[in-house]
Amino acid sequence: MANRRVLVKRRKATRNIRKITRTMQLIATARFQAAFQRAMASKPYTAKLERLIEGLARAATGLEHPLMKVREDVPREALLVVTSDRGLCGGYNANVLRQVAEHLDGRAAEGVETAVTMVGKKGTSYFKYRNRPLAEVVRGIGDTPRFEQVEPVANGLMAAFGSGEIAALHVAYMKFLSAGKQTPVVERILPLSYEPAAGEAPAGEVLYEFSPGPAELLGELLPAAVRVRLFQAFTDAAVSEQVARMVAMKAATDAAEDMIKRLTMQYNRARQTQVTMELLDIVGGANALA
Amino acid sequence: MAEAKTFELAVVTPEAAVLDTEATFVALPAHDGEIGILRDRAPLVVKLDVGLLRAETAAGAIRLYVDGGFAEMVGNRLTVLTEDARDPAALDRGAAERRLAEARAMTAGDEAAHAAREKALRRARVQLKLTAG
Repeated sequence: MANRRVLVKRRKATRNIRKITRTMQLIATARFQAAFQRAMASKPYTAKLERLIEGLARAATGLEHPLMKVREDVPREALLVVTSDRGLCGGYNANVLRQVAEHLDGRAAEGVETAVTMVGKKGTSYFKYRNRPLAEVVRGIGDTPRFEQVEPVANGLMAAFGSGEIAALHVAYMKFLSAGKQTPVVERILPLSYEPAAGEAPAGEVLYEFSPGPAELLGELLPAAVRVRLFQAFTDAAVSEQVARMVAMKAATDAAEDMIKRLTMQYNRARQTQVTMELLDIVGGANALA
Repeated sequence: MAEAKTFELAVVTPEAAVLDTEATFVALPAHDGEIGILRDRAPLVVKLDVGLLRAETAAGAIRLYVDGGFAEMVGNRLTVLTEDARDPAALDRGAAERRLAEARAMTAGDEAAHAAREKALRRARVQLKLTAG
C-alpha cells in the first residue's frame, strides 16, 4: 500500500532532522561553555575598573567629564543593537528586536531621532525588511567577540558623543542572568553617571597616591569603562545566543522524537490493517470455494 | 636565600586574567616613565603607557607587553588593568610596521585626532622596538 511507504519515508526524514537538531544542540552546549568562560573572564577587569572609578570619584570632587555631560538640546541619540549572525536560536533575535522597536518608537514619540548601529546579520535583515534606517552596520564579529573588534565601535560612538552629535548612547542586547534566564534589555551607556557616594568615605578607605592626578586619571578610566561595558554587552549576547540555540534545538529534538513515535504508530496501524485485509481476502476466497 | 619579599601580581584584560603570580619586583611602564614596585609599597594608582612590564618571580623573569591601562598597588597586591597584554614574542612585526604606516597616514585635524594619531604612532613604535631582535 502506498500509504505505508509514505509513512516510512516521513519517519526516515524526521529521524534525519532529529539527528541534525541533536548535533546542533550538542554544539551549542559546547559553545555555551566556551562563551560562558569568556564572559566570566571579563568580570575581574570590569569589577576592578568600576571600583577604581568609584574610589576616584570620591577623591575628585566636583567631577566633570565630557562623557558624563547631559545634553538636553540635542534631539539625537544612538542605539547599538547586538543580534546574532545565525538563526535557529528560537526567539533570541525576535525578543531583542521587539525591545528595540519599542525603544525606537518611544524615543520617536518624544521627538528624539535615534541612529541605529546594528551588529549581526539577523538584525540587519530585519531592519531592511521593515524599511527602518540603519546608521551603521558592524559585520564580522560573530559569536566569539574579541575586545579589539569591539574597541573601534566603542571609540566611534564615544567620539560622536564627545562631539555633541548624539546626546545619549543605549545598547540593546540579550542580558545573560543565568543559564535559565536571559532578558532582552536596552541599557544606557552614555552619558555616564557616577553618583559620588554621599557622606563619609567607607571605613578602611585607602589613601592612594595618584599619578597623574585623580581628575586626569578619571578622564582615562571613563572611556575604558565605556569600552568594557560595551564589550560585556557583546559577550553577554554571545552567551545568551548559545543558550537560546541550546533550548531551541532541544525543543526541536523532542518534537522530532514525538513525531517519530506518532509516525511509527501510524505505520504499525497501517501495516496491521493491510494484514487484516489480506487475511479477510484469503478467508473470503477460501469460503467462497468451499 | 633569605625569605623572599614577595607580593601578588595580577594582570587582567577584558578578555582574560593573563597573569596571577607572586613577584619580588615589578617594573611598570608608567605614563611618565618606568616605575619599579617592591613589597610594601604605599598604595598607588598609576596610568600606564604602552610598553613592557617586567617582573621578577620565583619562576624567573617575566616580560609582558601591555597596551596602556592602569595599575593599582594596595595591600601588597599589584593589579594591572590593560586592554591588551601579551608576550612580546607574540607580537607581529609585520603588523606593527603596517600600523606605523597607517598611523603616519592619519590626519591630525583637531585635538582628538591628533591625540589618536600620537597614540597610534607610539603604540606602533613600541611594538616595533619590542619585536626588533
